[in-house]
Amino acid sequence: MMDREDRRPDLSVLDPGLGDAGYWERLRAAVLAGAAFELARRRETARASVTAVLSSWSRKLIPATLAAAAAAAFLALSENASDQGEPQPLALEDVLDEGAAEGLSWTAENAAASPVAFMAFVEGHGR
Amino acid sequence: MKDSTDAELVVQAKLGDRQAFGELVRRYQGAAYAVARACTGSHEDAEDAVQEAFVVALQRLEECRHPGKFAGWLLAIVRNRSRNLVRREKLRMAEPIPLDAPETSRGPAAEAELATLRQDLEEALAKLPQVQREIVLLYDLEGWKHGEISERLGIPSGTVRSHLHFARKALRAELSGWKNHEEAV
Repeated sequence: MMDREDRRPDLSVLDPGLGDAGYWERLRAAVLAGAAFELARRRETARASVTAVLSSWSRKLIPATLAAAAAAAFLALSENASDQGEPQPLALEDVLDEGAAEGLSWTAENAAASPVAFMAFVEGHGR
Repeated sequence: MKDSTDAELVVQAKLGDRQAFGELVRRYQGAAYAVARACTGSHEDAEDAVQEAFVVALQRLEECRHPGKFAGWLLAIVRNRSRNLVRREKLRMAEPIPLDAPETSRGPAAEAELATLRQDLEEALAKLPQVQREIVLLYDLEGWKHGEISERLGIPSGTVRSHLHFARKALRAELSGWKNHEEAV
């Protein structure tokens, strides 16, 4: 059984929203109007912080990116230069991978480069 | 926004998000009003204190070390602003709050009866210790649970129950002349 003293007193008469459905929304609007300046200040501060972080990153990233690009360009040019030199002897792996054994002309110089080339050279001279 | 936690809303409000701050206001304006009313004893002062407290809370949001416990932190500000306002009130004329006058559909007789009940209730509440006023208003007007009051006001749950019991008992004694001032829980 409920203790009479622990029954809920009706304090709704103290609720300013009683009979005035828009009261709390108006109070909220009034609070937000009072807070408008501080909210705007905070937005501005946050925007300035983001800009500052991005610009600090860009100060470090741009030189690093330029250096990396220069290094990549240098390497690419170096590889092009070496590609234009004399053909390199084929290794066994290259022959097997590319199926390039047929049609090659073997010489004593390049036959020494791999066992397959060597065998082809010997067989050619044995016939 | 309605599904966001207090902590998430506080983080967004720190960045100036109006919607997030507005949601915090929506969640806690009733509780803030109850505490302010318990401190000031008047509707107009409570309104003033609530508005001031929310703006001050926004300005000091970085001081809210545990954003998940925003409500308790806010109510402490409400309490301080209310006390300051009561002190200031003695020195200045009260200015009207720029809120539109409420429209009511009650008749003059009912309005007069409500006004009398309100006055009697305010006088009865004024005789309670402040902590009991806050607890009974948060529980019986704002609908907070024992646990919520305990956590947000930093008072042990058993003490909250005890304060609530004695506050209700005192209110009942003061308002015994009114027939319909209570309802079964």
